[in-house]
Amino acid sequence: MNTSRSNPALEVESLSVLRPVAGEGVSLQGVDWTVTPGELWVVAGEQGAGKTALLETLAGLIPAGSGRVRVFGRPVAVSGDDDAALRETRRHLGLVFDGNGRLFSALSVVENLLLPVCYHRNCSPSDALDELEPLIRHLQLESLLARTPSSLSRSWARRVALGRSLALKPGLLLLDNPLAGLDAVHLRWWRGFLADALRGHPVLGAQPLALIATADAVRPYLELAPRFALVAGGHWRILDDIEAVLAATGEEGMRHPTQT
Amino acid sequence: MISPSRTPGAATGSGGGPGWGHGLLEEWRSLTRLGAFILITLATAARRYGDSSQVMRPQVLGEIHRSGVRLLPIVGFLGVVLGMVFVGQTVVLMEQFGGGPFTGTLMVTVFLREMAPMIAGLLVLARVGTAAVVELGTARALGEVEALEVLGIDPIHYLVVPRVVGFSAAVVSLTAYLILISLGSGYAFAYARGLKAPPLEFLGQIAGAMSALDFPLLILKTLLFGAFTGWVICYQGLARPMTLGEVGPATTRTVAVCVVGCLMLDALFIGVYLLL
Repeated sequence: MNTSRSNPALEVESLSVLRPVAGEGVSLQGVDWTVTPGELWVVAGEQGAGKTALLETLAGLIPAGSGRVRVFGRPVAVSGDDDAALRETRRHLGLVFDGNGRLFSALSVVENLLLPVCYHRNCSPSDALDELEPLIRHLQLESLLARTPSSLSRSWARRVALGRSLALKPGLLLLDNPLAGLDAVHLRWWRGFLADALRGHPVLGAQPLALIATADAVRPYLELAPRFALVAGGHWRILDDIEAVLAATGEEGMRHPTQT
Repeated sequence: MISPSRTPGAATGSGGGPGWGHGLLEEWRSLTRLGAFILITLATAARRYGDSSQVMRPQVLGEIHRSGVRLLPIVGFLGVVLGMVFVGQTVVLMEQFGGGPFTGTLMVTVFLREMAPMIAGLLVLARVGTAAVVELGTARALGEVEALEVLGIDPIHYLVVPRVVGFSAAVVSLTAYLILISLGSGYAFAYARGLKAPPLEFLGQIAGAMSALDFPLLILKTLLFGAFTGWVICYQGLARPMTLGEVGPATTRTVAVCVVGCLMLDALFIGVYLLL
């Protein structure tokens, strides 16, 4: 996969995002957007504004009301049209869900991590484990491999979900509110990870990833120099003025507890 | 077929509408959706046969173990009891009233063709099927199915096909096991109550009442019982978005649909036997 800067990781044209409950109308419209590898976009907005629905639409989980989405040049269309093509497209993107990351509760942590690799490459678990060992070490998950998802704290479960979505080395990573509710240690780790991913870490395929993170509060991202978009009132706006972003999220004049 | 977005009230079945007409229409729609789900599962199984075998083979074997091997003790116990209660008593009564020569026909028609497959199917549904609906429904409600889809893993391939194969294999093999144990224990019971016929004569009567088509038809029937149960379980658990609160109603609905569906299949096979 060519993830060079000349090839956009994500192209969105005139997208309208439907609400997750069918028949409840459009939650967001007029999304025109291009994301290239090495960029971090923070999509800010109040809870319920449609940020999660936007990510799920980009991943092809919710049908788009209208418009076009392409991931590394491949169209994203929701099931029914061409399931096999959509599945192929999804191998180039990762989505980390909010909360505990929707880990598979019937599988252990290591089985969660190995499943995508074993399924797509048809390799044995031991071969997949050899392949993923550097990633597991990078994510500091070595001691958790035998645990079940229900025994993990939310912060660690989210990190396992991150590992699972990175297992296939996607070029585009969608993160649903990844920094919400983290303690200082996890927050520092995540910011380090995001910085590594933007530069292109060897464990992540040595290519810069395109990162999109939704956020209720944007201040924890400021040191990563992201670009911002705002979802409010059913409309999409790309904002270059950081003060405007902070004002829109109600963070002007606030200091994040872990910010030094 | 795994519906990507929630439809209000979609998982509540046919209870929402006023009057019989609405209910019947909703049941018909539900039936057509189940039919479509079955076709999609068959197409997926055919198209993806052999794909991801390192993952799928353990999945299928695990389902066979869960639905079949783990039920062997209870099926064995049930076979012993059923043999004494039904087979043994019937044989003794037939002998007492001079109907000995018809024992084989009675056993084949009532027990081998009808009771044993139905009991094995219901047992698999009760012991494994209900738990599977809860497991799949919970995974659906917690968004784990969407997580599979995002990873490019086909939920029909990964979750549904192994269960349908497992349930089919389980009902076929458990029926055979149940028949053998029941006939054995039934004969032992009848012998203890004074039956004079030696074991080979007893088995000979049963074998003589069977036709060559009984074997393939019994296999086909039990295969369909198991597959239908697997399809209904996966359809109710997976095909529609649900909340955790809807998992319970989906489970009871699964039991009802499976029992009615298997009885209808059974009626269909009675028609086939009569034609033959």
